[in-house]
Amino acid sequence: MTAKTVHKNLGLSEISWRSSLGVTKTVLIARFKIVLRYKGAIVFDMILPVILAALPILLGVAIAGQAAAQNFEDATGTENYKLYMLIGASTFIVVTLMLWLVGYWIRREMETGTLESVYASPAKRVEVLSGVTLYALIRSLMAFAFAMVVGSFIFQVDLFQGEMALALAFVVIGIIPLWGISFAFGALILKVKEADSLIQVMQWVVAFFMGIFFPITVFPPFLRYVALSFPPTWMTNGVRASLLDVAYFFGTWYLDLAVLLAFAAVLPLVGYTVFLRTERRIKKNEGVGQF
Amino acid sequence: MTMSEPIIAIENISKTFTSKERGKGRKRKKKVEALKDVSLEIFDGEVFGLLGPNGAGKTTLIKCLTTLLLPTSGTAWINGFNLQKEENKVRASIGCMLMGERGLYWKLTGRENLDYFGALYYIPKNVRRERIDYLVDLLELSDFVDRTVETYSSGQKMILAFAKSLINDAPILFLDEPTVTMDVHAARNLRSIVRSLNKEGHTIIYTTHLMAEADELCDRVAIIDRGEIIALGPPSELKSSIPQESVVDVEGVIPESARNRIVEIPGIRTAVVKDETNGKTMLGIICDNSRRVLPKIIDVLVEEDAIIEYISPQEVTLEDVFIAKTGRSLSIDTREIVTPKDAGK
Ligand SMILES: Nc1ncnc2c1ncn2[C@@H]1O[C@H](COP(=O)(O)OP(=O)(O)OP(=O)(O)O)[C@@H](O)[C@H]1O
Ligand SMILES: [Mg+2]
Repeated sequence: MTAKTVHKNLGLSEISWRSSLGVTKTVLIARFKIVLRYKGAIVFDMILPVILAALPILLGVAIAGQAAAQNFEDATGTENYKLYMLIGASTFIVVTLMLWLVGYWIRREMETGTLESVYASPAKRVEVLSGVTLYALIRSLMAFAFAMVVGSFIFQVDLFQGEMALALAFVVIGIIPLWGISFAFGALILKVKEADSLIQVMQWVVAFFMGIFFPITVFPPFLRYVALSFPPTWMTNGVRASLLDVAYFFGTWYLDLAVLLAFAAVLPLVGYTVFLRTERRIKKNEGVGQF
Repeated sequence: MTMSEPIIAIENISKTFTSKERGKGRKRKKKVEALKDVSLEIFDGEVFGLLGPNGAGKTTLIKCLTTLLLPTSGTAWINGFNLQKEENKVRASIGCMLMGERGLYWKLTGRENLDYFGALYYIPKNVRRERIDYLVDLLELSDFVDRTVETYSSGQKMILAFAKSLINDAPILFLDEPTVTMDVHAARNLRSIVRSLNKEGHTIIYTTHLMAEADELCDRVAIIDRGEIIALGPPSELKSSIPQESVVDVEGVIPESARNRIVEIPGIRTAVVKDETNGKTMLGIICDNSRRVLPKIIDVLVEEDAIIEYISPQEVTLEDVFIAKTGRSLSIDTREIVTPKDAGK
């Protein structure tokens, strides 16, 4: 026995490219509308990296004798510790916003029940997720640019040195694998319902491993490999190396960039697959309405 | 209204939840069979009621049919599409209101919410705008539709959630207890809109645990209990399965001893506490012939010092159908159950 009657209605028309993009656009715009209605939210993530960078910089100014500066240069290859810290803090905010915004989105939508409403609609997962990650991307790039510019004024460092274009390439390509990681992270949040503390712990673990304030070369070998398996480490170092006299991990810029490109090619697909699998497993049991 | 072909065909759907049970240090896996091999056909153009007490499996069934949960086994055909193989077509064929006022963006206005979900159904922007204007008129949303949802009253959120379920003008509508937090007036209003949508040709699946609501609204109802359908048919037909004059309601202060003795009276099938407030009890008694047993019931009540405020043979309701089938009351599932079998022990 099958139900034969087929009714047409508004949602059953052919799906065009435009309406597909329309989903992504709608989700993106809604995200911005919502965040702008929370006062101060966006300003906060622009200021945070500046404050974050200020801590080690002020510390450096306070205690850096000649020996300390020499030490820093020996370890990193540059004595420009201010820009070094500023880059670290600014790329950190990119990473943290990419993970946090996607994770927080899923968490919040589960709580309010809107995730279930989204799931009940025929919109494809990838279109909705694209809207959300695009939003995260725009916010993190805005925060990155703002922090770098304002930071350079406050700490009086010159951004216009070294290879600017290359530094930008490291940022842009470095963000793509973050998409993949954010999908996988989202899946984790679907699964582990107590996500708030998870997000916070993850943030600092990530900050530690990607070397926001120090070169990962000071790590013992094992930790160094852990750090190297995490794409943002390559992004941070790439930006530093192209602007300052910091060494590339593989000696040349194109090898480092190639590694980042490889991450960018693989991780989004992996992350998306993990997300779909997790979602299916959850629907087999309690569904996304429970939290 | 034409009731021709099935627009929904449910084939042997079962759903088992596995959850961790916490407590006393150990975690154990616990299984709940929320649906047990449910098969059902719902016809094009009918208002179909799912009636059952708390925890019966109504929401679970609806979540399975709206693709929010995967059934453990079984399948269904909805608007000609297979539940598991054509998920997105199924989703496009239905509108649903599942969790009352939840599922809305509080920081967006009502209109922005409707527009957002409209886009998720791939409705072109200009069509969306017209549709929203139409819904604002139909549901009288104009007073608040341009405010953010966080400022809404509970009833306003409900009606917006209802509007959301109508955004894609779907042939099939799933409404899970849509009136549950509404006042009497708003609930009546919603039911009348449901009826007019049905007249326009929409098929409606409506869950409730209010038998009067199901009785009034639905062409057919399925009574569901513990994951199984225990009765199915038009309300009038279900009610006529119980002979006229076989239901007696007693209200007052009724000691337990009286209840235990009443069920032992020959000709009485079951007696269930339908409601209990401020020490007063409403006892529903199902018997073979109320005229014959009424004097005996009164005798027992008098002997047991009950205070009778009201006693009368009743019209059969859907709740009586439920009581007759299960020996339990619909409204409150933790009711004390008194049946002849238990009473003997
Ligand atoms: N995620 C879950 N994990 C474990 N058990 C669940 C889950 N969701 C529902 N159940 C159980 O499945 C059964 C059916 O629940 P369901 O929500 O379908 O009932 P219902 O008929 O909608 O009740 P109500 O009238 O209270 O809404 C209940 O016993 C419930 O406890
Ligand atoms: Mg329910």
